Amino acid sequence: MNRDTSPFRPASTGASPTPKHASLTASTNLRYSLTRKSIYDRHLNRTKTSELSKSAFAFLFGEMVQHAQKKVYGVQDLEKKLNQHGYAVGQRFLELLLWREGRTAKRETRILGILQFISHSLYRAIFQKPADTLEKVRENEDEYMISDNDPLVNSYISVPKEMSQLNCAAFIAGIIEAVLDGHCFPAKVTAHTAPSDMWPGRTVFLIKFEPEVLEREGLRHGST
Amino acid sequence: MSSTSRARLGEEVWKTRTDKINAELVTLTYGSVVAQLCKDLDGDYAEVNKQLDKMGYNIGLRLIEDFLAKSNMQQKCANFRDTADVISKVGFKMFLNITPTIANWSSDSKQFSLMFDENPLADFVELPDDGKAQAELWYSNMLCGVIRGALEMVQMQVDAHFVNDVLRGHDTTEMRISLVRYIDDEMPADDE
Amino acid sequence: MPADWDIWAVSDWVTKPGEWRNEVMEEGPEELSTGSRKRERKKRRQARETGFKCSALLCSEPRPRCCRWYHIVAMVVYAVLILNKAGGLIFQRDFNPGLQKLTSNDYLILAGTFHGVHAITSQISPTNETGASGLEVLESENFVMRCFQTLTGTKFLVFAEPRQPNLDVVVRRVYELYSDYVMKNPFYQIEMPIRSEGFERHLSAYIKPHQ
Repeated sequence: MNRDTSPFRPASTGASPTPKHASLTASTNLRYSLTRKSIYDRHLNRTKTSELSKSAFAFLFGEMVQHAQKKVYGVQDLEKKLNQHGYAVGQRFLELLLWREGRTAKRETRILGILQFISHSLYRAIFQKPADTLEKVRENEDEYMISDNDPLVNSYISVPKEMSQLNCAAFIAGIIEAVLDGHCFPAKVTAHTAPSDMWPGRTVFLIKFEPEVLEREGLRHGST
Repeated sequence: MSSTSRARLGEEVWKTRTDKINAELVTLTYGSVVAQLCKDLDGDYAEVNKQLDKMGYNIGLRLIEDFLAKSNMQQKCANFRDTADVISKVGFKMFLNITPTIANWSSDSKQFSLMFDENPLADFVELPDDGKAQAELWYSNMLCGVIRGALEMVQMQVDAHFVNDVLRGHDTTEMRISLVRYIDDEMPADDE
Repeated sequence: MPADWDIWAVSDWVTKPGEWRNEVMEEGPEELSTGSRKRERKKRRQARETGFKCSALLCSEPRPRCCRWYHIVAMVVYAVLILNKAGGLIFQRDFNPGLQKLTSNDYLILAGTFHGVHAITSQISPTNETGASGLEVLESENFVMRCFQTLTGTKFLVFAEPRQPNLDVVVRRVYELYSDYVMKNPFYQIEMPIRSEGFERHLSAYIKPHQ
């Protein structure tokens, strides 16, 4: 997975390829403001509870979708682009979250554990609410579903009829995928619209784990 | 409307009429947009600035309606100084929960600077250490486009660009905004 | 408040702006039982404490001091039209019977004509300051039309039953819905006809219950 070739590293650099102090040694070419604090001087929890307007996000996200749309062929390609954006966000959120849990952070080793972490802790940290359901797909051993009745990113979006396959929550699918990857549970996550009467925008995230995940699960914990 | 009542209005809109979400989601999403551009454009930072400005412009054209609807402003600003005040105290407040300081007015009252003490878009950010980004990239350039687009919809053509950015090692983050002209399309009766 | 309104209603305090329910009351406020008076007081207290808005359509009282009884239920909005900056019709929807249906071509003509009249009436205004508004209300025997032009030049037209007070509140709310569900939808192209399922849904939800 070398999907993250972004030049911007997350501020918490536990897993970053170059150790944090490397950029502070004499060899760095970066200039730092003398009066303003760089990211190294600020507390990482500074923005933990800060808020911005949902509108600001909606406009940014909308423009991201529009921009992505210009360079893609078809709905799948667009969803892939959104997934990639989400992936970049997810990687960083995971770092932040684990760092904030501090000593109580534990490494999830079971499928159910990591899925619960996603549908509760992660979801709550990002969207201030837990996901609505977490289910196992009965027919397939390797598939799970997390559902969200009203995904935040879709609040103001109406997908035109000719693109009815599209669900912009592919962005959130990307976030989930990054978190699973970060915990060594490689999987494919896709977003699907599954409306109900109450919730026209209900979305299901289908999580399909790679075979090695199930194999490991079987070895470590007996077959489930 | 006086400057203090505008500050109060901004505060009120933010508190009572704004749905809020986790700031870090916005910050990281913006980061992902910029990073993706840098990658797509192969480190051509001048082009990245341009794209960011363009995206911001598209946002501005739409965002202005949200701004007007939520702030309930129905009167045009009497002059450009008023406009500056509204941008800082109501506009920035209601979308990003910051109030950049207005400074450095030109003598003809057509140019001013917004000084950003805080910039939520740039939390967590350090520019790439490639010897180029710090000289060429304006990380938050989307904001310039937003202002340009939004003001164009209310009949003002402006130029907006960053002149300083803490991320570049400057001591301040400063955006310069200058009024080019008032667009007189009030009476479309004659055209077409 | 006209005396001859015979339907009285108590609007419920709501948990979200934009949502509301109401109960039709047979008598006026004085005849309320102690129980319902208590309930009313509790609602008002809750509203004060939490800052919930009264979203009742006709309520123009400053919130949350808002009135309890007299939200008239008999509010009928016939249709909503939206005109873009150039006077092109970008949205037209009927909500309640009351107006004759026009052909789509006639709607376009109506929009264009009104746009022109609006432009001229704003020129005719004696106050020469910027932002002098043009024609705002058109009234006939069978309907009243309220126009609201935003600073960007977009016009919202609401057709309703005659003698409806506070139509401006309705128009403003429509503007808010527009700014949310049209402007924030990345698949909408500015100045083009509005085809947005979310906008239609929220607009109906807002206008329909007020019949």
